[in-house]
Amino acid sequence: MKVVVNDIELDLAPGTSAIDAVFAAGDDVPYFCSQEYMSPIGACRMCLARVGSPRKDRDGNWILDEETGEPKIFWFPNLMATCTTQVTEGMVIDTRSEAVKNAQNSMVEFTLINHPLDCPVCDKGGACELQDRAYEYGDGLSRFEFDKRRSEKHHELSELITLDRERCIHCKRCVRFFEEVPGDEVLDFIERGSHTYIGTVDAGLPSNFSGNITDICPVGALLDASSRFRGRNWEYDHTRTTSMDDATGSAVIVDARTGRIERVKAALNPDVNKTWIDDGTRFGHEYVDSPDRLTRPMVRRNGELQPVTWPEAAAYVAERLKGLSGKDVGIVLRADSTLEEGVAALALAEKLGTGQVDHAPRPAGSLLPSRPATLTDLATADAIFVVGDVTEEAGILDLRIKDALKGVTPPELLPHGVPIADLRLKERMPRRAEILTVAAPYRVDLMRHAGASHLYPAGGEAELFRALTALAGGGQLTDEQRAALGADEAAARQLVDRLRSASDGVLVVGGFALARREAAEAARAFARAVGVKELLVGPMANSHGLELLGVLPSHERYAFPGMLQEAKALIVSHLDPAKDPDVAASLKERELLVVHDMFLTETARLADVVLPARSVYEKDGTVVNLEGRFLPVRAAPVEAGQAEDFTGVVRYLGEALGERLEGRSVRSARRVLKRRLELDLAELPDNGVIPRLKARPAPKVTTREAPAAGGNVLIAPSMARVEYLHRNPHLNAAVGGPKLSVNPADAEGLGVMDGAEVRLRVGGVWRDAVVRVTEAVPAGLMTLPALPEQGVGLVQADLGSLVVDQVRLEVAS
Amino acid sequence: MSVLDIAKGMGVTLGHLFKRPYTVSYPEQRVDIEPRFRGRHHLLRHPDTGLEKCIGCSLCAAACPAYAIYVEAAENDPDDPVSAGERYAKIYEINMLRCIFCGFCEEACPTGAVVLGHEFELADFRYQDFVYGKEDMLVGTTGSKWQRREAAAKGKEVRIGVEPAPRPELEGVDY
Ligand code: SF4
Ligand code: SF4
Ligand code: SF4
Ligand code: FES
Repeated sequence: MKVVVNDIELDLAPGTSAIDAVFAAGDDVPYFCSQEYMSPIGACRMCLARVGSPRKDRDGNWILDEETGEPKIFWFPNLMATCTTQVTEGMVIDTRSEAVKNAQNSMVEFTLINHPLDCPVCDKGGACELQDRAYEYGDGLSRFEFDKRRSEKHHELSELITLDRERCIHCKRCVRFFEEVPGDEVLDFIERGSHTYIGTVDAGLPSNFSGNITDICPVGALLDASSRFRGRNWEYDHTRTTSMDDATGSAVIVDARTGRIERVKAALNPDVNKTWIDDGTRFGHEYVDSPDRLTRPMVRRNGELQPVTWPEAAAYVAERLKGLSGKDVGIVLRADSTLEEGVAALALAEKLGTGQVDHAPRPAGSLLPSRPATLTDLATADAIFVVGDVTEEAGILDLRIKDALKGVTPPELLPHGVPIADLRLKERMPRRAEILTVAAPYRVDLMRHAGASHLYPAGGEAELFRALTALAGGGQLTDEQRAALGADEAAARQLVDRLRSASDGVLVVGGFALARREAAEAARAFARAVGVKELLVGPMANSHGLELLGVLPSHERYAFPGMLQEAKALIVSHLDPAKDPDVAASLKERELLVVHDMFLTETARLADVVLPARSVYEKDGTVVNLEGRFLPVRAAPVEAGQAEDFTGVVRYLGEALGERLEGRSVRSARRVLKRRLELDLAELPDNGVIPRLKARPAPKVTTREAPAAGGNVLIAPSMARVEYLHRNPHLNAAVGGPKLSVNPADAEGLGVMDGAEVRLRVGGVWRDAVVRVTEAVPAGLMTLPALPEQGVGLVQADLGSLVVDQVRLEVAS
Repeated sequence: MSVLDIAKGMGVTLGHLFKRPYTVSYPEQRVDIEPRFRGRHHLLRHPDTGLEKCIGCSLCAAACPAYAIYVEAAENDPDDPVSAGERYAKIYEINMLRCIFCGFCEEACPTGAVVLGHEFELADFRYQDFVYGKEDMLVGTTGSKWQRREAAAKGKEVRIGVEPAPRPELEGVDY
């Protein structure tokens, strides 16, 4: 479609908005209310331009200009908001004439009437759209001498977000975000005219994605409370990297100042997270700056841990290893270690000659799907079956599923990037809820958006998939199978039919089903039976990558946590198995315990050698997300003392053992990976790649057998990482601590009230939690968020051990 | 050259001989300073409320060509505010070794909080003593760190070597 923008002729796809035409021509119009991936609504009137198009007469011929003989341009009588104007054949857009300039000038003036102009104390200052636009398109002078509207300047919308009502320019981006992206109407405009303000009737912002509104607010009205007044925008070091918070590998920008992480913002990755991240990813970084971080290696001498240098610590370990046979050494990494660290661990294991190497948490089922789906597949699917709680497990999956419900395919990128105004998107669009079915052992958030829900008995994932497979095979169900469905048979049949007839069906398998091998295999069999692609959600950022790389034990016996009994010497990175007192007792009997961690954990307290570790924000490396996408991780400039990642551990240990091991640095590990994967990870683009890896023998996944099903507590995924929650004060306050969700009937039986702080022993581990009484969990089941050492799945809690610390009565208002 | 010319020349010399000498016997005597002289910075307070004028906006730090200023802001406790409004400077430091006394910070400041005063005796011994914090610059503090140390050791008042000229920007500064 031919369009002329300020004398530049363009060829654009039909349906493009005029504002995108202007940007595609390399030109600029100011705008406030349009936002990538959201509906254009024409609220701010800042994007005005003079627009005209040729017309046809009754016979379908262009009406010609008598003088030039060209089709005559009929100009719209008024200036048009380009964001809500669709281009037509031969349209002419003018953004440079005097009339447009006057209009822009006036709109800036109008927008600023009630704006407080307190830029010096505003955290948006220096990165503010209003500031930039006022500077570029405004007059620079104010003619208004009356008092401005006064309003609340510090309104805490939630623990995470502060609202300054004076600064709001009513662009409606935040209101639309909640309705359009996560699909929950949380915020709205209240009052009218210049009295309009943003507000909510809820307590806090009940959404896992609330932080995104601080990114999209064009002014400093909505701000991240955790970085309030921490620095000005030009003072931050911005690091574009990949989040290690969950398995989706969202693009983020880490902003650091004077060696501290001050905030995390979402970055654009059109194929993964678009421009959204969940609150766990955004606000879950404060632990990195905890004052109690380990900064120096320590060695136990005379019963006390004493600071030493790295070479001393490494020499000590090498000395102690001498007396042991190499194969008695166990090495375990946490599953958010980078690929490079995985290479280092494997190199060290090879040098020592041990097969006892593993990563944890690691589900019993394999994470490498046979028919992998990408996130784009998910967002364009016509039938989706989710088993698990993906909103908590990997929030971006939740949002991409909601994209699919809208039925709008991801937009084609234009020369200037993502379209600013995608005219296919509307406010309050109809959602195709019927294409989504969600199954979980308790009521999960995504069920509110699903056409059908299955509430199956906890631990019954294998039975659920077998029953569904039986339905797909056309068989009749036994009563037992019917009970396993967690919904009536007709609904299940409908689900099976829908998946089978779908051209792009996707099965999303969460942690509950992957926790047991038979369930994971049943899920795979079901996917094959109905012919859908699979998306397997690993428990941590690099679960997929570490399995792909083969950071796996040579024998089931050696898998974590069995390794803790098998090995005589242990090197444990970022894990704290000693949370379980029984494990702690057995760890004391090990001949050598080396702990590589950020904090002096229970395990580190028992260790012979403690090595300071870098946080996930301080490493360079590569992760593989749940689609199999290789994504770059870059270190932010954070003060971390002498902390090293696992490649550093291997470098020092290798030196002490008299060998330069492969994987002694990120560079050397990448050389190994280049050989093995034929992929140059140093050259990885920001948005990552899903490589076609050469066919290779499927790695032999040796796993510990899943513990026998059964138990009274379901360890469930959680958006906020519980192991660091008490060091993340803002996030902790927002989510209300680690929650033990209990059904009202059970709460009565246990004698606990909502908000009670309790301590109980769950699957051996002492857990602190805050009781939340809710109908969402069925009677007889409680849920508790997962820890790296206590992965998702059913466990038995010793209810006799329950201690109620404090009872905080919720005062009903 | 006539005798008259010589006499004229000698006359000038003679004239100067009887003029008051320009030399000031510094440091015993204080020196006169022009009102616009740029010396050590002062951080001012609102004279009426006593609140600090600085709002911790870091604009001075952004304007500083020598990267001499470091500001870390924090939120005021509404019941016991440090400055007017929500934000105040928790840390405000100027490295006097880096500073080139250009006055850009003063020009950038939206609240007139940082003003270059007339003190110039900033010599000291250790690098760290050249980093001036809030307590060294807020109104009411007279003298450089070294001068104050000396005065405290001798139990005397700080005596600075300038005879300041009044300047309205230095609101509340009393030498
Ligand atoms: S708070 Fe921000 S995003 Fe929301 S309407 Fe106001 S200016 Fe727009
Ligand atoms: S006077 Fe100039 S060099 Fe000194 S602190 Fe101010 S801006 Fe920086
Ligand atoms: S002295 Fe002025 S410019 Fe510097 S931080 Fe304070 S208010 Fe801002
Ligand atoms: S009216 Fe706001 S961007 Fe067009």
